[in-house]
Amino acid sequence: MTGSNNSALRVLRSMWLLVVLLLLYVPIASVVLASLANTRYMRFPHRVWSLDAYAQALGTYTTANLHLTSLSIAVAVVIVSVIIASFGALAFARYDWAGRKLFRRLVLLPVFFPQPVLGLALLLYLTALGIVPDWKTAAFAHIVWVVPIVTLVISIRLYHYDVAQEEAAFDLGATRLQVFREITLPALAPGIVSGALFAFLLSWSNLPISVFTSGADTTLPEWLYSRTATNYSPLVPAVAVIGTAASAAIVLLAAALRPVFTRKR
Amino acid sequence: MVEASEPRPGILSTHGISKSFGELRAVDDVSIEIADGEFFTIVGPSGSGKSTLVRILAGLDRPDSGNILLRGEDITATPANARPTCMVFQSLALFTHRTVGENIEFSQKMKGVARDARREHALRMMEVVRLPREYYARPVTQCSGGEQQRVALARALASDPEILFFDEPLSAIDYRLRKILEVEMKDLHRRTGKTFIYITHSLEEAMVMSDRIAIMRSGTLIQTGTPHEIYRRPESRFVAEFMGEVNIFTVADGRLAELGIAAAQIEAPYLVVRPEYLRPAGNGDADFRFRAEVTNDYMLGSRTQFHLDAGGTSLVAELPALAAAGIAPGDVGEWGFDRADAVPLAD
Ligand SMILES: Nc1ncnc2c1ncn2[C@@H]1O[C@H](COP(=O)(O)OP(=O)(O)OP(=O)(O)O)[C@@H](O)[C@H]1O
Ligand SMILES: [Mg+2]
Repeated sequence: MTGSNNSALRVLRSMWLLVVLLLLYVPIASVVLASLANTRYMRFPHRVWSLDAYAQALGTYTTANLHLTSLSIAVAVVIVSVIIASFGALAFARYDWAGRKLFRRLVLLPVFFPQPVLGLALLLYLTALGIVPDWKTAAFAHIVWVVPIVTLVISIRLYHYDVAQEEAAFDLGATRLQVFREITLPALAPGIVSGALFAFLLSWSNLPISVFTSGADTTLPEWLYSRTATNYSPLVPAVAVIGTAASAAIVLLAAALRPVFTRKR
Repeated sequence: MVEASEPRPGILSTHGISKSFGELRAVDDVSIEIADGEFFTIVGPSGSGKSTLVRILAGLDRPDSGNILLRGEDITATPANARPTCMVFQSLALFTHRTVGENIEFSQKMKGVARDARREHALRMMEVVRLPREYYARPVTQCSGGEQQRVALARALASDPEILFFDEPLSAIDYRLRKILEVEMKDLHRRTGKTFIYITHSLEEAMVMSDRIAIMRSGTLIQTGTPHEIYRRPESRFVAEFMGEVNIFTVADGRLAELGIAAAQIEAPYLVVRPEYLRPAGNGDADFRFRAEVTNDYMLGSRTQFHLDAGGTSLVAELPALAAAGIAPGDVGEWGFDRADAVPLAD
């Protein structure tokens, strides 16, 4: 290959990267821009730039309420799904039981279900049981969908885990609790952090399942969707930007804390 | 080597231990007496129950029946973490997210020994297994196979066990390094004076290292003895064949008579002769003699192996290089062996 050919390739590659980045970030940037307007119509450039929408968003009880609902669901989903998924992943790593392959496929099935269908199915199920949907049922529905994904994420990190390490530790005088703290948990930790992030983001941004299962409570994506469809104002993109910032802050915080969880002892 | 003089006190004994997995009796009524400071090896083919047995001895599994005594005290119900024994696993089971030092110090950390004392102890153990000090802070995943082997040994020794168990720790290591580590293992045994209970499926490995060998087959120990006894006096065809290529004569089928060997002189149904005891006997000095044709020869290094055809019976002979000179495929001549070198077997 010649040098000029090489540099041409490099230029092409840089352009490709640029296009991808633009495609990814232009929509986000445009939401930010839209939030800085003071009209009900999406138009650019704005005649008046204003932060009124943010003032309104931060001032209303609704914004806080939406975030609280979504956050409650996401936190519940993270805690429950990480616990279930950790045990599931450990079971996969530890026991070679008959039907293990089949179970591995079955457990992933909900992921391939169209989410609205899963949401509808769960709503019918809840109604049949006589349960009135609210944010807690939405959390349950999210968990059904998220647990398989988190199990997979944690399993991947456990793939090369030699369970004989636990026996070796026990044989070297560790108690069951010490074995868990010194061997099992450190092996699980990186997977738990990744899995928790996945669970959080998947729940935080979920619309199709929430629509069916949250009942009277409204999550952030639900509110954004309905207000965009019927009653649009710059308040909508402003709330969206606040929501994005909130989730980004949580993810960054988790990433910063990651070395603490996975540090070598 | 064969000093039966001062009997050493026993350290570990089992009485009729058995363990089943469903229908399968993986360990079947095993009773052993192991002396303090002994290098005791259990040899058997794959699936004979060696791992199951050693896991029971180490306290990682419970036997269905029978009991285990350590210096006369019943420890059958004592779990592994409360037994003064330690096991080196086939996979080594090193703690992969830790350094060499942290691996070796683990048992001391569990006991609550202070950091500095732990470190000093670990470095001493590294010296014992001949691991350079610089390795202390290195992640175990960055060590070679042989180095990981030493880390596993040092980790086990650091817990100062009375008995060390080894479940085929060398099986994943290439031939040359394995030979070196076998010698080191024996050397380590001598220097530490601890009791080693070693498992392998290679009788060759067992021969090199052991004070005593037990042969395991389908969950039972079928013969126990010094390497010398096992080699010279196998008690069954299984043991004889497990030791490598052998010539087995069936006394009853008349073949011995065809070979010109008077069957009346032998009471057992089988006669086993090791390849190195078959030799050219042209001058008539062997107790038993027969005519045979050399069909093949194989160079084995210091020895040469010959395949013989004695009137339809295939036999194997091995001669030192010097004695083998001048014998070639196609040669027909007298071969023979001595009575003292033939082992009569009941089965
Ligand atoms: N946990 C178990 N469940 C069911 N069967 C088992 C279990 N562990 C071992 N076995 C069976 O018990 C028999 C003895 O197994 P074991 O692992 O003790 O053999 P081994 O002599 O160590 O063989 P190898 O040389 O291959 O390691 C085998 O047939 C094995 O399949
Ligand atoms: Mg085994």
